[in-house]
Amino acid sequence: MSDIKNYTINFGPQHPAAHGVLRLILEMDGEVIVHADPHVGLLHRGTEKLAESKPFNHSIGYMDRLDYVSMMCNEHGYVKSIEKLLNIEAPIRAQYIRTMFDEVTRILNHLMWIGTHGLDLGAMTLFLYAFREREYLMDCYEAVSGARMHAAYYRPGGVYRDLPDYMPKHAESKWTKGKALKQVNSWREGSLLDFLEHFTDYFPEKIAEYNTLLTDNRIWKQRTVNIGIVSPERALQLGFTGPMLRGSGIEWDLRKKQTYAAYDKLDFDIPVGVNGDSYDRYLVRMEEMVQSNKIIKQCVKWLKDNPGPVMLDDYKVAPPNREAMKNDMESMIHHFKLFTEGYTVPKGEAYAAVEAPKGEFGVYLVADDSNKPFRMKIRAPGFAHISAMNEMVKGSMLADVVSVIGTMDIVFGEIDR
Amino acid sequence: MKMFKYLKSLTLKELLKGMTVTGKYFFKRKFTIRYPEEKTPKSDRFRGLHALRRYENGEERCIACKLCEAVCPALAISIDSEQREDGTRRTTKYEIDLFKCIYCGFCEESCPVDSIVLTDIHEFHFETEGRNVLDKQQLLAIGDLREKEVAECRQNDSEYR
Amino acid sequence: MNDSLEKKLKSHFGDLITSFVTQHGELTCEVAPENWQQVCQTLRDDAQFSFEQLIDLCGIDYLTFGESEWQTEGSTSTGFSRAINKNGPGRFSWEDRETELMDKRFAVVVHLLSIKHNMRLRLKCFTPDTGVLAVPSLIDVWSVADWFEREAFDLFGIIFVGHPDLRRILTDYGFVGHPFRKDFPLIGNVEVRYDEEKGRVVYEPVSIEPRVTIPKTVRKDARYAENQEQLEEDS
Repeated sequence: MSDIKNYTINFGPQHPAAHGVLRLILEMDGEVIVHADPHVGLLHRGTEKLAESKPFNHSIGYMDRLDYVSMMCNEHGYVKSIEKLLNIEAPIRAQYIRTMFDEVTRILNHLMWIGTHGLDLGAMTLFLYAFREREYLMDCYEAVSGARMHAAYYRPGGVYRDLPDYMPKHAESKWTKGKALKQVNSWREGSLLDFLEHFTDYFPEKIAEYNTLLTDNRIWKQRTVNIGIVSPERALQLGFTGPMLRGSGIEWDLRKKQTYAAYDKLDFDIPVGVNGDSYDRYLVRMEEMVQSNKIIKQCVKWLKDNPGPVMLDDYKVAPPNREAMKNDMESMIHHFKLFTEGYTVPKGEAYAAVEAPKGEFGVYLVADDSNKPFRMKIRAPGFAHISAMNEMVKGSMLADVVSVIGTMDIVFGEIDR
Repeated sequence: MKMFKYLKSLTLKELLKGMTVTGKYFFKRKFTIRYPEEKTPKSDRFRGLHALRRYENGEERCIACKLCEAVCPALAISIDSEQREDGTRRTTKYEIDLFKCIYCGFCEESCPVDSIVLTDIHEFHFETEGRNVLDKQQLLAIGDLREKEVAECRQNDSEYR
Repeated sequence: MNDSLEKKLKSHFGDLITSFVTQHGELTCEVAPENWQQVCQTLRDDAQFSFEQLIDLCGIDYLTFGESEWQTEGSTSTGFSRAINKNGPGRFSWEDRETELMDKRFAVVVHLLSIKHNMRLRLKCFTPDTGVLAVPSLIDVWSVADWFEREAFDLFGIIFVGHPDLRRILTDYGFVGHPFRKDFPLIGNVEVRYDEEKGRVVYEPVSIEPRVTIPKTVRKDARYAENQEQLEEDS
């Protein structure tokens, strides 16, 4: 028996199931994992150090690139931290827009997660379906900000522009004309809010389809039930947040417990798991999509009824509109001042956290009366989750590693920063 | 109870249900489009390739105030300026490194004369090293090419800017 | 909320916590390295605090804190003098870096969250000014401290005593220096490329020119009452 021994394998960094650039060193005893050592940092760009060399507003675009499947939530964490330091608050309409887009982002993120998680575990079709729904929400992103992913839409003091009251339409082509064209453009007749309303009516039946494909499916259950079990006590110790914590049965959601934006005015529920395994976390995230859909619906209704400013009327922080800038000397001076020096932030430190789709995304800012952050620390939920990798996979089979990576909902943009 | 579960499992009920969902889509109109003949609609706020605009009389708009250079988070823009014969200040060098650019749109936001804009061109590529840096002539040429669309998009979105 | 927490902390810990600051509704406490582990352990286990979760742990380098890069030393009828040769991130290269000694330069900051009481607390621990930059590890109190401490070690060079596996985490294998220190240039000091002749990746001195378009400017904004007091103090 002397020829049987432990061996070490390299999982990634180029592996489709590693969700990016994860290098996982697995010490195996046959098919069973003895020790897992994740090596991260292959996507380290030094975002925090870069931010120290730029005025506050310049880093908004870099926030999108952290967790690049939940872009606006990252921006929200960052601008919330700046707003805390400056002691300002965005107008109520901006708060609702932020809430709505946070939830759009949550659905975007969870769709991406269910697609890739399914793909890893052998459910190819779902990936295609999830991306179909993502397309609609990407269009919403593009309609407000001009970019499908890297929005740079939230600003300290509000959001950049109000929601557009028209949507771009599909052009006629050889294959799409007449009735078919009318059908593909049917959602796009009204404003962005009408478009989103159509989406919220359409989305629940799609979630039902996903559930039909997965929830009872024997292969899906074999790959997720009782895999990667984390007890509530360990989940707290390991710094889990978001669906990872709720999957273990702890009812904790910043949207409810330490509410921000307009969440306190909306009606929604927090799903909680029981066993703390991959399957429970799957159920939690599926239900979160339903709840997000519900929140979007309420936001759309409110936003339709309540027009108003979306940006703070304080030229020290927010630039004046173009009309004013071109006609008014003082606005012009503010415009130049803001786009060259930026605004200075009073000495102090603040930590602001939002409930990002993956968990608690926090930004800790230290300011020193200057126009650049002195120190910025990004608290990425994925970083704490992946550090628990060894504990979650130890003693299970190699194939379960894929399931555990999937259930953690890992994105390396935020882990490596 | 366990017996019942086994029997249910033998019928492959949940698998067949899933197959019905996927099977249904076989007969539906496809969601995908035939790119590049067909394209998805683009918003008026779209942020694509850069361009420098001119006034209607052919004069370039840019006055070399360097706001875009200052506001660029990625340091992708570099500008040199000099006084022209007629006494106005103009750029002698206006370069954008498209590898550095993150398409955040801050340059367009900052421009006081609507000179630098992000057009809706998103399909472009480079074949040789160095072509990623757009110089002033190239940027003006893109602007001339797309002036109509650019002006229209800005006009449509003007009340939000 | 914070007031009652502050009171409880004061009565329970006494001198173990050296300072309390409440700002923007957040309480920050300072703890000396020798009491670091003990205070954290109590904060986790005592029912009146029960901070079950360590949300974040990070290092800070206070070098150049509050220093502006743009000093307008004099103004004449032709304008301001623009002296912008102060060192800041991105402004200097590896050769002319200078490691300055200062008191209380490095700190470890942790953010705690109590799910039971729904409250947060920030603790700060300055590393010793002389000798090794060492702070006791919190890995026995909260397991999640493992990677956060590795990160702080990697980026700032703070040693966490008692950490079983203090390796670099974010930077490259064989990286030299601690990149988030303020005296580490933003452009770095080496760059890599693939060498066809040698058939491997080679390291070379960095060739990027440091460039700053907007200097760091310190301006005490009179709109904030807190700063108003500061201004008066300074004058």
